[in-house]
Amino acid sequence: MIRAVVTGLGAVTPFGLGVKTYWNGLAAGLCAIRPVTLLDTQGLRCRLAAEVPEVIPGSRRRSRADRLALAAAVEALEDAHLERAERAEVAVVVGAVGGGMFEAEEWYWREAGRGAVEPDRRALGAVLPWSHAEVVANALGLYGPRETLTTACSSGAAALAVASELVTTGMVDLVLAGGVDAITRICYLGFNALKLLDPEPCRPFDRERRGMSIGEGAGFFVLESAEHAAARGARVYAELAGYGMTSDAYHVTSPDPEGRGMARAMVEALTRSGLNAADVGYANAHGTATPQNDRMEGLALRAVFGAEGLLVSSTKSMIGHTMAAAGSLEAMATVLALVHDVIPPTVHLDSPDPEVAFDCVPHRARHAAIEHAISNSFGFGGQNVTLLFRRACT
Amino acid sequence: MSLPEGRRRVVITGVGAIGAPFSGDSAALGASLANPQPCFGTLAPGALAGVMDGVDARRLSRVCRLAVAAARLAATDAGGEADAPLGVVVGTELGDLHSTRDFADGYLARGQAGLSALLFPNTVMNTMAAATSIALQARGLSLTINAPGIPGELAVARAAASIAARRAERLLAGGVDELDPYVVEMLGRMGVESGGRGEGAAFLMLETLDGARARGARILGEILAVATGALPARPVGVGRSNRSRVVQLALERTGGRVQDVGWVYASLGGDAARDAWERSVLEAALAPHRPPLAALGMLWGQHAGLGALRIAAAAWTARSGLLPVTSLDEPGVRPRVNITRVSAGLGLVHGVARGGAHAAIVVGPAPVG
Repeated sequence: MIRAVVTGLGAVTPFGLGVKTYWNGLAAGLCAIRPVTLLDTQGLRCRLAAEVPEVIPGSRRRSRADRLALAAAVEALEDAHLERAERAEVAVVVGAVGGGMFEAEEWYWREAGRGAVEPDRRALGAVLPWSHAEVVANALGLYGPRETLTTACSSGAAALAVASELVTTGMVDLVLAGGVDAITRICYLGFNALKLLDPEPCRPFDRERRGMSIGEGAGFFVLESAEHAAARGARVYAELAGYGMTSDAYHVTSPDPEGRGMARAMVEALTRSGLNAADVGYANAHGTATPQNDRMEGLALRAVFGAEGLLVSSTKSMIGHTMAAAGSLEAMATVLALVHDVIPPTVHLDSPDPEVAFDCVPHRARHAAIEHAISNSFGFGGQNVTLLFRRACT
Repeated sequence: MSLPEGRRRVVITGVGAIGAPFSGDSAALGASLANPQPCFGTLAPGALAGVMDGVDARRLSRVCRLAVAAARLAATDAGGEADAPLGVVVGTELGDLHSTRDFADGYLARGQAGLSALLFPNTVMNTMAAATSIALQARGLSLTINAPGIPGELAVARAAASIAARRAERLLAGGVDELDPYVVEMLGRMGVESGGRGEGAAFLMLETLDGARARGARILGEILAVATGALPARPVGVGRSNRSRVVQLALERTGGRVQDVGWVYASLGGDAARDAWERSVLEAALAPHRPPLAALGMLWGQHAGLGALRIAAAAWTARSGLLPVTSLDEPGVRPRVNITRVSAGLGLVHGVARGGAHAAIVVGPAPVG
């Protein structure tokens, strides 16, 4: 049996550039949700978001999202110590939703009402989600299989699941996989229209929670076969031991009211990894802080893992909901929790919701050495993905 | 991507398509291939009548209606009941840009009061997969693959690989795109579209050979191997290199050789620079062999569903021995099509997209015995 292991990580997050910056922010329980600077939010119910605070490297001719993806991808490949000559056969799997919509919106907003206008080639040429994979693969010389997956807010996790399948079925030895999204007007306005945004920083699992906070970023992994990693002496962060991907087939925006699709994804991940529920010590929850999601996820976690022993936290309380990047950035938090023996907290959790009857690690990170952890990601359309990571053998 | 050793055999048991040239099941596809007529452009009004009930027609965006209708046709064509959970893999190049623009226009015209909570979910590209999963109560894998040029081929390749690798049992795989006039106009003015576009949706029901036999399903063909990769090229550009191992990898997985390829369905579609690149890649991969070639995109216009239709067409050729060979000798002129009898062999479905994505899918007839 071929095992897929994590040998490289790269991140651009609302804490800034780099994996170290990301982990330091999570472990310190910092909140990166602040007043929006990228968009005009005048008159909107919510005016906060978790924006990437620094100048993103790369040519300004590329979209903000393409630059986020490329910066994280470069860090992941360098972290894995993959030389250029080794990269030609590397597969690229990217989870994406917004594409280069931020720049396309700038053009469309500017030109609205003027009738026939000249298209902005740069903006419109990169507007679709597939742009990120094309840019990353061609800039870095990666010519293996190339896939862009869109499963709404679970896209980054779906990319890692498919990458794991490519490795464990022997199709490729190495995959660069992850998720990326930049804040866009359509996304921000749309969630405002659905009244799903909290005017204050989001409070996952709190009984007073009022909705989510939008974020942006990119998280990329190098996944490779354990044998390949051992042969080249690569450092292994963790093993991606299993995954589950299911669909609620219930409603486009509402999850199954009993969390059945979510639970099936978690059970699938356990089954594929050959583990029991009791083997899992930590769940990095989807934890959006919407009243519905957190309750359904609580139900699903309880159905699969019981009410005792599992530590649950939502890192969205610190970096917001980074959309297509959320699945990969939260998977990265899960992996780093295994590496550092530290569970990142759920900040702003003052009065825990009794319907989510877990230890949700409020306010401060906690020391805990665990062997296995899951990362949950769910999305519009009833898309459910669970990734299960195993601590690296030492 | 190639199917691994010890894979499960993957067969096609249903076809459903909605499009300008025809709408229907595997029989309708066969009739259209046997007498192929050029037919570009938008779907005729009323094409969804009888496939889509009034509730779906009101509730879903147009591109979602295309997807749901084609998926239902494929599920019906596959017949019978199956115990295994159904999943969906949808390829699309453009998604629901029509709804995205409507959503933005609502805000620009009326501010916050113009924001539509109903339109917003359609701005996310998985909306077609979500609508299809809900309509067919498909609770297994649900994936949307967004790619330039060949999203339908990539969706079927992903689905076939997942079934072969025991990650899924039954998947509806295919693609959908619509011709939104504004999007087409913008693409044209950007000069990135020189090929003819069509619109529509097509899905294949894929399942394991054992599962199909257990439920007594009619088998339309077998997906013998898939391989995907990429050629060097700028995003949305055409590359110079014609060297790729993708075709070779796919053939290796079948135990076949280049000379075993009996015919090719290519993604040629009227984009002159891209078409020339694909022909160069094919020639390099198959040399000195030059099997006859069909180019459905020249006849029916390119859209994400056509990738799935090419694979279904390859299965039809494997069954019937007939191929709609497309003459490509006169650039800029509508191709002539001759129905040619081909000898037994492997069918190769081949796709190259601007930006470099590359797919090869080897198709054979229904297994005997």
